[in-house]
Formats: sequence, C-alpha cells, structure tokens
Amino acid sequence: MFNLEFQAVVLAAGKGSRMHEITAAKPKCLLPVGNKPLVWYPLVKLQEIGFKEVILIVYDNQKSEIQSSLDKLNLNVKIEYVPIKNEDQGTADSLRFIHDKIKTDLLILSCDLISDVNLGGVLNLFRMHDASLCSLFLNPPAGEHLTVPGPKTKYKPERDLIGIDSQTNRLVFLASASDFESTVTLPKALIKKHTQITMYSNLIDSHVYVMKKWVVNYLQTEPSISTIKGELLPHIIRKQLLKPKQKHDFNTSIVNTKDESGVFAFASQTNLDRLIQETSSFNDHHGDLKPSYHGDLVRCFAYIAKPNVFGIRVNTLPAYHSVNFKIIDKWEKLTKDKEFNRIDSSAEVLSNQVDDRCIIWNSCKLSEKTSFKNSILGAHCEVDKFSRVFNSVLMNDVVIKEKVALENCIVCNDTVIESGCQLKNCLIGSQHVVPKDAVHSNELLTQNDRLMELELL
Amino acid sequence: MSQKLDKSVAQKEVVQAVVIAEHFGNEFMPITDDTPLTLLPLLNVPLLEYTLEFLSLGGIEETFLFCCSNVVMIKQHINSSIEKSAGWSLTMKVHVIVSETCRSFGDCIRDLDAKALIRGDFVLLEPGIVGNIKLLPIIKKHNETCNTDKGAAMTLILQEAGLGQRGRCSFEEVLMVATPNNRVLLHQKLGTSKKAKIELPLEILMDNASVNIYHNLKDTHISICSPNVLSLFSDNFDFQTKDDFVRGLLINEEILGSTIYWHLIKGNQYGAAVTNWRMYQSVSRDILHRWLYPLVPDMGISSQQRSYIHLQNNVYRSKDVHLTQSNSLIEDVIIGGGSSVGDKTRISRSIIGESVKIGDNVIIEDSFVFSNTVIGDNSVIQHSIIGQKCVLETGCIVTKASVIGKGVVLPENSIIENYLIRSHSSKTGVASNKLAKNAYHIKPEESVESDAEDDGLHRKLSRLYMPDEAEPSDDESVKSSESEDNLSYTISPVPDDTNLFLTEVVDSLTRGFEDKLQCDNLILEINSSRYAYNVSVKEVNFNVIKAILMLPFQLYLGQPYLPSLRPLLDYFSPILKNYIRNISAMVDCLQAIEDVAANNNELNECVSAVLNWLYNKDHLSEDVILNWFSGIDKNTRFYARVEPFTNWLQQAEEASSSEED
Repeated sequence: MFNLEFQAVVLAAGKGSRMHEITAAKPKCLLPVGNKPLVWYPLVKLQEIGFKEVILIVYDNQKSEIQSSLDKLNLNVKIEYVPIKNEDQGTADSLRFIHDKIKTDLLILSCDLISDVNLGGVLNLFRMHDASLCSLFLNPPAGEHLTVPGPKTKYKPERDLIGIDSQTNRLVFLASASDFESTVTLPKALIKKHTQITMYSNLIDSHVYVMKKWVVNYLQTEPSISTIKGELLPHIIRKQLLKPKQKHDFNTSIVNTKDESGVFAFASQTNLDRLIQETSSFNDHHGDLKPSYHGDLVRCFAYIAKPNVFGIRVNTLPAYHSVNFKIIDKWEKLTKDKEFNRIDSSAEVLSNQVDDRCIIWNSCKLSEKTSFKNSILGAHCEVDKFSRVFNSVLMNDVVIKEKVALENCIVCNDTVIESGCQLKNCLIGSQHVVPKDAVHSNELLTQNDRLMELELL
Repeated sequence: MSQKLDKSVAQKEVVQAVVIAEHFGNEFMPITDDTPLTLLPLLNVPLLEYTLEFLSLGGIEETFLFCCSNVVMIKQHINSSIEKSAGWSLTMKVHVIVSETCRSFGDCIRDLDAKALIRGDFVLLEPGIVGNIKLLPIIKKHNETCNTDKGAAMTLILQEAGLGQRGRCSFEEVLMVATPNNRVLLHQKLGTSKKAKIELPLEILMDNASVNIYHNLKDTHISICSPNVLSLFSDNFDFQTKDDFVRGLLINEEILGSTIYWHLIKGNQYGAAVTNWRMYQSVSRDILHRWLYPLVPDMGISSQQRSYIHLQNNVYRSKDVHLTQSNSLIEDVIIGGGSSVGDKTRISRSIIGESVKIGDNVIIEDSFVFSNTVIGDNSVIQHSIIGQKCVLETGCIVTKASVIGKGVVLPENSIIENYLIRSHSSKTGVASNKLAKNAYHIKPEESVESDAEDDGLHRKLSRLYMPDEAEPSDDESVKSSESEDNLSYTISPVPDDTNLFLTEVVDSLTRGFEDKLQCDNLILEINSSRYAYNVSVKEVNFNVIKAILMLPFQLYLGQPYLPSLRPLLDYFSPILKNYIRNISAMVDCLQAIEDVAANNNELNECVSAVLNWLYNKDHLSEDVILNWFSGIDKNTRFYARVEPFTNWLQQAEEASSSEED
C-alpha cells in the first residue's frame, strides 16, 4: 500500500464560544447552513480534492449526535471520529492527543470554514518549498451590512498581524493585534533577514494548515502550547530565525543559553536533501548572498487566496447570519455543482408564497396561506396558517403557530412561537416558548436560567 | 491669480531642479579644505559635472545651484564648462544662487523660498549626487499622485540595494514602512544603532489593510518636490535637513496636512550621493563598473572629448599616459592624461589623476591619487587618498584609510597609518602635530557629547572601506546563541525584571557596604526584592554574585580591581555563604564570574585569584570548578586565565589523594 501524502484532520470540537446564543444546545459543527450542517462543507471540500479518510475530532458527549447526522449525508469520505473528553482542550492539545494516528504530513481544517478556495494551491506551496508549515489566508469579504439578530452589540472582529516576505511568501510574523498596545516590536534580525515584509492587518486566517509530521512530534515536547493559531504557529514562525547549533559549539557554558536542541532535533534534513540544496542553483530570494531559504530548516509559508475567492469562517453570529443568505448564490462554486436540493421531497409545502431563496429541510410542514422569503427552515419545522417568515433561519423542530410574523430572526431547536407574535431582529434560544402576542425586536429570547449558565461559562 | 497662471504655464514649459552644493560637514577634511565638495574629482571629473549631466539627461531644463562657500570657484567652473560646451550646457540653464549666511540644508531651502524662483514641481538634490535616473516619468508620477492626494509634498527616490551591498551607507541604514500605493508611513534612519528591536506604531499597521516594511533600500538623496515643500520648510524653521523634514511631516501628518510618497528605482538606473569617503569609494567603483552608463569615463562625462580608452578588467587609460612594459594595471583602474607610471609598478582598484608621476616599484591598491602628485620609487599606498600636488618621496608607506591633503610633502620612508595629513598647520584650532615641513597630522576632534566607543565607530565608518576589517554587525553568529527572548516580538517582562532585580541588588549591597549594615539584613532585603521581581533561585544566585563582582566598578571606579574587590568579598562572605549552598548554586556562581569577566577585562585579569579565594573559603568545590572549566571555550583568553588555577587544583588533588594512599 502506498503511503498517503497527507492526512486530513477536521477540528470539530469547538464550543462556538463567540456565538454561544445559538450553540448552547447544539454542537457548533451541526449548525444548519443552507441545507447542510456546517461541518459538511469542509468534509466535502476534502472529498473533492481526493481524500478518502478524514480524522474528525469531536467532543465525547456530542459524538453520537454528530455521527448520526453525518451518517445521513452520504459522504464518500470515511470519517474516523476521535472523541476528546476535556472541554477546555485547545486545538494543539487535540493534535497532541491524536499524535499516534499521525503517520504523514497533515492538512488541518476547522469545521467552520466555508470557502470555495482550491486547497491545491496551499498544498502545492507546501510541496514546492518542502515547507514545515503552510497557512491559508483569506481576503476579508467586501463591505456589507446586515442587521444581526439579537441585542445590538458592536461586533469587533479579531484582527491578526500577518507578516509575509514579499519575495518568497515566507510567513515571518503572526500575532494577534490585541497583543500589542501602541507599538509592535520586531526583532532587527528579522528585518535584516527578510528585507521586504508585507504586513497585513485585515487577512483572515482560514485555520487551514498544512504541516509536517515532525511539528506534531515536536508538539509532544512542548506541553505548554495549547492552541494552534495562538501559540503553535507563532512559536514555529519564531523558530525560523534560529539556526541549528553547530556541533562544535564551545559556548555551551555561557549563561542563559536554553537547550536549543528542541526544534532542530525534529526539523532535520537528510544529507541528500542538503546536498541537493547546496548544489542546486535555485534560490528563493535575491538581494543578499545567502543560500536558498537562508539555509533554514524551519520554513513557514503563507498562501493568500485570490481576492475573488469566497471564504468565511462561521464562528461568530454575524458570520453565521450572513453565510446563510449567501449560500444559495455560492452553492455551485462551493460544492462543484453538487445537486442543490432546495426543498426536501419529504417536506409538505402547502404554501404558495415560497420564494426561490428559501431552503426547506426534510419533514417540514408549511400550511397554506403562509409566506416565506429568503429563509431557511430546518427539519421537522411546522408553520401554521397566516404566518410569515422573512430573512430568518429556523433550526430543527421549530413550531410556529398562527399569525406569526418573523423577520430577520434566528430560531434555535425545539422552540415554539405562539400565535400572534411579531418578532423582528431577534435571537430565540432553544426550547423556548414565546408566549402569545409577544412583540419583540432586537432581543435575545431565551430561558433566563440557561443564559445565566452561559454567562457563567 | 497670476501666480496660478504662471504655475500652469511653467509646468508645461520648464522642469526645474535645485541642487544644494554645500554639505555642511567635515567628512572630507582635509581634501575639502580648499576645494568645495562639488568640485571634488570623481574619476578625474568634478562631482558637479556628474550631477549636472545627470539632470540634463534626466530631462531637466533649468537648474538652480545653491552655493554657500567657495562661490567664486564654482562660478568659474560653471563658466569654463559652458565655454567648453559641456554636454549639459546645451540643454539646461544653470543659475548659481549665492547665500553665504546659510548654515544648513534647511536654511538653503528657506532662502530659496524667499527668492521665489520655483514655479512648479521641482527636483531637489542634496550635495554630491551622481545618477542616471530618468526623472521625467517620476515627475509625471508625482504629478498624478498630487492629483489624487492634494497633500502630497514629496516623492523620495530610493534604490533597491540588498543587505551588505557596499553602496548602502552604514549611516543611512533606512527602515521604511509604506502603503502599497507608495505612501510613506514611517521613515526611520537606523544608522549604526545596535538596538535589537524595531518598534513600529501599531496604528499604522491597523489603519492600513497591508503595509510593506522595507529594509532593502538605499537613499539616493534625490526627491521630487511639490512647491509647498519650500513653504513647509519656511513654516517649520526647526527643519535643518531633509531627514528632519521627512520625520516632521510624518509625525505631524494631520497638522501639516502633507504626505510623502516614494519611488523605487530598479535595474539599470542608478543614483547615489557622495556623503563620505566610503560612499565616494563605492560610487567610484560603481562608475568604473559602468552602472552609471552613459556616464562612464570613455564616453567623456559632460565633455566633448573622449580621452579615455576602456580596456579589459575595467581599466581606463587616457591616451597620453606613459606606461612601461613591466608595469601592470590589474583591475578597476583609471589613469588620467599626462600621467606616467614607472617600472614594475602595480596598480589595482585605484583612481589615478591627471599628470601624476608614479615611480618604479610602487604598489597602489584601493586608493585615490589626485592630479599633479608625485609618488617616489618603492612606495606603497593602500586604502588611502592622496590629494593634489602632493609629493611622496621614495619609500613612503601610506595605508589604512589615511587621507593626505593638498600639497603635502612626505619625506623619504615615511610611514602613515590611518592619519589625516594636511600641508599647513591648522588655523582653526584643530589640534595638529607636525610630521615634516609640509605635513601636519590632524587629530580628529574629540566630540564631548558622544561616548568614545560610538565616536570610534563613527570615524571608522566614515573612512574608506577595508576588506579585512570585521563589519560591525553580522548577526549570523549571534543568532544561534542569542537567547530566544531576543527574537520574540511581544515584550517579555522576565528579562527586564531580572535586570531590575540586579540593579536592586547592586543598590542594596552598595548601601550595605557603605553603611556597614549586617549581612543578615542584606540577605532579607535581597530575598524580598527577589519576590518583588519574581526571579528564580538560579537567577538570584547568578545576580547576587554578579552584583558583588561588579561592585568595585560602582564604588572604586578607576582603581585597581582586585585590591578593591578583596574587602568586599570578605565583608559579603556571609551572603556568599547563604546563596552558594549547593552544587547548582556553585555552577550559577561560576557562570556569573564568566559573565562578568566576559564584559570586564579587570576581572578577567585576576579571575584565578578570585576563584582561589572562593575555593579557599569553601564557597566553591573542586569538582564543580573542574567540571565547569572543561566546558569553557579553549580559545578564549578567559580560558587561559583560569587554566593555571585549575592546573594547580588538579595537582593539589593528586597530591592529596597520594597522601591518603
């Protein structure tokens, strides 16, 4: 049997803490987007570029729910579920947890990426430079404004500072903008090595990483690293500035030299590779007389998707809300012309006012004299007469009684909205019952005790 | 109203340039004692000719040459060039503007503003520019920029130059941050600063989707200016140099409402300014290597005569040079008309002026010999500059970046190393030693403010480059041993705290020794600062020892080290005893000694005495010392200093073990 070139890992054990209003009762990776759960999109993406097997990291107590919903989706890719028990594990902890399953280089995806980017680009960049690590960055979506349901809050996007060598696409700097107060300090050695760096402040880290197997092995020796993006990446990127110690180094007794054997015990190079690199006339950069890659063994690269690529990370409420309305337009590109089943055959649609931007899941019951525009209705939803649902997302088992008007709302699982309600720009938590004739706008409607619990979390 | 009209007319008609001819410095002393910088011969042609020719080839039609001193000489030169119908004189008008009161670059611009000669966008040249840049496209681009950004004041022209390229002036190591559409956000002259970190304001990174950080550029000292540059200089009279201007504009962008752009020149275009000898050297070499084409000696720079022939290995020889069979011009040599070279003389990488008489058996390497000089037989000239009308008698040796001014006569067998020599004693009070009748050694002015080391570096960098000297900062070797803290970009508080801890300990100990406090109390004090700064046990041990060893420098600065250390060690013995408790603490102690000795020669000298003392008082054990010693780099002086002591230890050990037997 051939060794696979890459193993794919999808991280689906995220809590969705940035949108806890809607992930309280539902795993983040199963949030409905269009007519599929969120995690379906990265899985299809992997399937599309030829992966046959995927390691899916999930929470132990969500595993059965996720497994049963994914089983229904008829994916061709074989999914190996790896349950993790500890709720507070970071992404790097998860990687460390599965290290014995890792046999080759890794492609890591997050379950919340919806994008039509071709992953071949980043994989090729990785192959081309024999990189240690490649990261995929997306351009920010063009300015748009949607009213986000729920209380009016200012969503402040988290921004990263990403430094990329303009000549070589080397990823030389990565830090969260919030780590700095007023000045950003760069080591002088960095600007002397990479004399032209483009520093981006608006790129979105897609959380798609391609990394060498040794990085996971190295992770074993650094137990303090718990997240990939926040800690592992900056750590590895910094290591690029270091040189392996020469064997005959007499400076060992000088104080403060840490045991640097660390990364270079893993990031080694075969003698043949070294000779090839030395004899080859290839050089990745010009401007100084250093060997290609400056002789570095640790090499990180960045791949920036083209500006016309659609990509979004569904990890905040605004992102979730907006992706649901874009999905119809992007469907073809996202799934490479998979059949798009807008209205499930098992749904019972008696209404004659369902516009062509509505998505209706299985076993929905839409009574006559109802009106739907630009909305998504999850499985087993029921909508009674004289109700209308505009620009809203209804998750599974939502019951809407008579004469209800919903506009720009997100309604979570098992919620009942009694007759005569008029809700606008609202977030309705799961298993909630909205009493009769309630009128709300820009509010979060949920059981108080549940919210308390959330806030405590 | 009429002014506006003028402007639009002017833009169509004439492109103007301003050349500041005065460099307001003494980098070129003593050569510039009587020749202005602009008339300094560069490959036997005055620098000014390159500048003017560059401007006229670049499409400039009117140039204002701003002079503050030596005006008569410059005017004469311009007139004679025009008479000889120099290339530039055919297409460009040159006006010499005189203002003898100006004391800085900024003053010149302010004076220019007052004279109201500039009508539109203009090209501003700092002193000593050579180049072959096509200016018109850049001016056009600047114009377009001005149309989109009303505040655009200046377009800086920079050339790509990789790290380590000799054309990069070490004083002008520049770090620039700019937007993708070439607006400059930050322009920092790093100079020769040794800081390991670069600080960028977060704001400029966050306000722009992406910015480029450049460290691969060299300043050509050429810029395209909008007319409001003049008034900006007048409004801000603290702007003395162009760097002040750039910095001021960037800092007060909102207040002054002006922005700066930049333009990158690449490929076959070249621009540079002769700002010091090192740049002079690199520019000379670049011209010999034909980077400045079409401004190369064999094409006749600005002159109608083509007097040089270009031979292989970039040897340029004037037609009437007298050579013999046995002398050799190796590479990168230019010899001016009327010169003669004697038998068995070797010349390489050097510029020889006109009518220079070089004797037999002379070696000239990497040097500049100006016109009408006589060099006697058997002389050696390396990495040096010999001014006009000098006489070097037989057997003179001039090396190591010496500069010899006009008219110096060196007697037979003089040896000049790294000296500045001028022919007359100083009038201006600069100290000078008389070497011979017509040779006075100039001592560099001692600058009071800057510390000696910095000044030394400064001087070193402003003289000619010598390949055998170690460049001040090659980080390659540093990187592997550099602790990772230095490489991280977020400021880690730990090392700072440790430093604070060290200073605290030094303070405690100083006070304790002076006031004769009980050592027990001092230990309490040290321990409490240990918790305050959250340092580890290892660091405490290390820093306490370090503090004690450094105390003599605090208390008895300038006195012999060992005698002043002795009483301190005796006094602090209880403290030592308290901290050096186990083997790992001994290791920390030894490392502290090594650390202090690495930085202070005084301790290095007497390290074995200190070790001996610590050993005798049972602070250190034999095994630990020997073990530590085996880890020291054998090539260091430190090793040599420690070796006698450890040898003695080993012998003592053998003796004692044999006694036991």
